[in-house]
Amino acid sequence: MKVFCIIPAYNEERSVVDVVNKVKAMVNVVVVVDDCSTDKTFELASGTEAVVLRHALNRGQGAALETGDSYALKNGADIVVHFDADGQFLFDEIPDVLRPLKDGEADAVFGSRFLGKKTEMPFLKENILFPIARKVNNFFGVKTTDPQSGFRALNHKALKMISIQNDGSAHCTEILTKAFRYGLKVKEVPITVVYNEFGQGLLGGKGRGKGGLAIVRDLILSRFIS
Amino acid sequence: MIQQILAALIIFFFMGRLIRQKKQKKISGGEFSFWFIFWSSVLLATIFLKSIDSLVANLGFSASGIDVLIYLAVAVLFYFVFRLRIKQEKIERDITKIVREISLSDKK
Repeated sequence: MKVFCIIPAYNEERSVVDVVNKVKAMVNVVVVVDDCSTDKTFELASGTEAVVLRHALNRGQGAALETGDSYALKNGADIVVHFDADGQFLFDEIPDVLRPLKDGEADAVFGSRFLGKKTEMPFLKENILFPIARKVNNFFGVKTTDPQSGFRALNHKALKMISIQNDGSAHCTEILTKAFRYGLKVKEVPITVVYNEFGQGLLGGKGRGKGGLAIVRDLILSRFIS
Repeated sequence: MIQQILAALIIFFFMGRLIRQKKQKKISGGEFSFWFIFWSSVLLATIFLKSIDSLVANLGFSASGIDVLIYLAVAVLFYFVFRLRIKQEKIERDITKIVREISLSDKK
């Protein structure tokens, strides 16, 4: 099975090389999508074994993931793993996320911070943002323990069916919503998240379409765009 | 009365501008019709303001006709802002598609 790891990166010069070097042993192809970083992310990633795609304009994490997914589909991927460039996910948990897909138990696997493994989560995120996010997800028919996990894997079927339309962080809810709506077999597996810094809060974050309010706004707008 | 004349003059200015834009083919027929009907309605509301006053009173509202028109105008403005936002989002998505195609074609 040909496994691609898609790593969207925006101003991640401190961690991108380390992440690529750790991940490459777990998958067949690593694809870094540089979302028009203003630092040396692109140059540093180009020096690794990863395939590096570059957005000419900053379009957001969801847009970068869809670019990576498109590349993977065109190049014969059987499975894609979405992985963050800031080193907050553990590379040795990739096999856990892949296993249900390889065993045919699921079409889409989502990592969850709420299934037993210990994650030191920021107070605001754990007690305010995530409960709200769960309510929002419930509204869209999604019932998972982790409302905003970026660590996920999709098989070829799911990859072909799920086209990410939300450029910003609303893609998390969008992917979950589509997985349920399209009747895909969904499974959650426990993962650990290491918080290096608070990536996004209620009002914003790094890159386009970040922040709790932006996510809600984008999800509402999406319902009016065919 | 003077306010009504002033309002009518402003409306005529916008209607004239609209007709000029249509003649210069800067706007589509549909857009022209929409805005023509819109400005005509505003003109009629301005001329028959007293009638609207009594109509509003008959409906049981305490506000005067002009107040109701202002409320309606605010609601219409909100609607237009929302439509603009949706249009902007569509354009953003088109930009993303172009950026994606360029990045993928660069890798071929």
